[in-house]
Amino acid sequence: MSSRRSRSRQSGASRISDEQIVDLVSRLQQLIPEIRSRRSDKVSASKVLQETCNYIRSLHREVDDLSDRLSELLESTDSDSAQAAIIRSLLM
Amino acid sequence: MSSLSQNPKKTLLFSAMKNPNTLKKKLASRFLKAMKKLKYKMSPSPPASIAEKKRRHRAVRAAAYASMASAVGPRRAWSRALLRKMKGRKRARRNPGNMNTRFGLNHLCDIVPGGEAMDSCSLLNETAHYIKCLVAQVQIMREILHSSSSSSTIL
Repeated sequence: MSSRRSRSRQSGASRISDEQIVDLVSRLQQLIPEIRSRRSDKVSASKVLQETCNYIRSLHREVDDLSDRLSELLESTDSDSAQAAIIRSLLM
Repeated sequence: MSSLSQNPKKTLLFSAMKNPNTLKKKLASRFLKAMKKLKYKMSPSPPASIAEKKRRHRAVRAAAYASMASAVGPRRAWSRALLRKMKGRKRARRNPGNMNTRFGLNHLCDIVPGGEAMDSCSLLNETAHYIKCLVAQVQIMREILHSSSSSSTIL
């Protein structure tokens, strides 16, 4: 740990402390359902980062899949009332 | 508001406390507008070819990311990076010190838009916000799908 700190001081580009990093990593931990559900405080930072990458990738895939289904929806629906209902429910 | 920018740590905390409802509403309204636009552009009746379907799929996906980026605006580095990409501008300069290998962030900086130009601290911060927006966007898209399918059910 101390070697990392001295390395960052030498580079001089940023004064990011290790605790800031740990802080942010733990914040990420709260966002990721995989890790949140395990209720363990002993998750390593690298595990959190790994899970973060996986989570974002899965979210990208979901956006892709939902886009596909929505594009099919665009073809079929054309009632304005359905759209109005959607808009109302989303923006209420 | 100016005091926030002077104190970076405070800015970080404040940005974490953003009201999720207003964000979601913003995302929803922009995405719906974009979808409406797409609908008008679509060629009407004949069954679409496979290429056309793919094009529509890509258009909806682009609209999703576009509405995410424009709803967040220039406030976030990741949304700025997405907006730059959409406008076809050059990417921001790469992070010269490349501190990202420090904690194994080298995968993350490839995944988060604009990640390669960020230092580790910003990257983690941006990632958190990016995840929140992605989750909100996914929820919106799901809700649109579900409410359309339920409203079009013929009993």
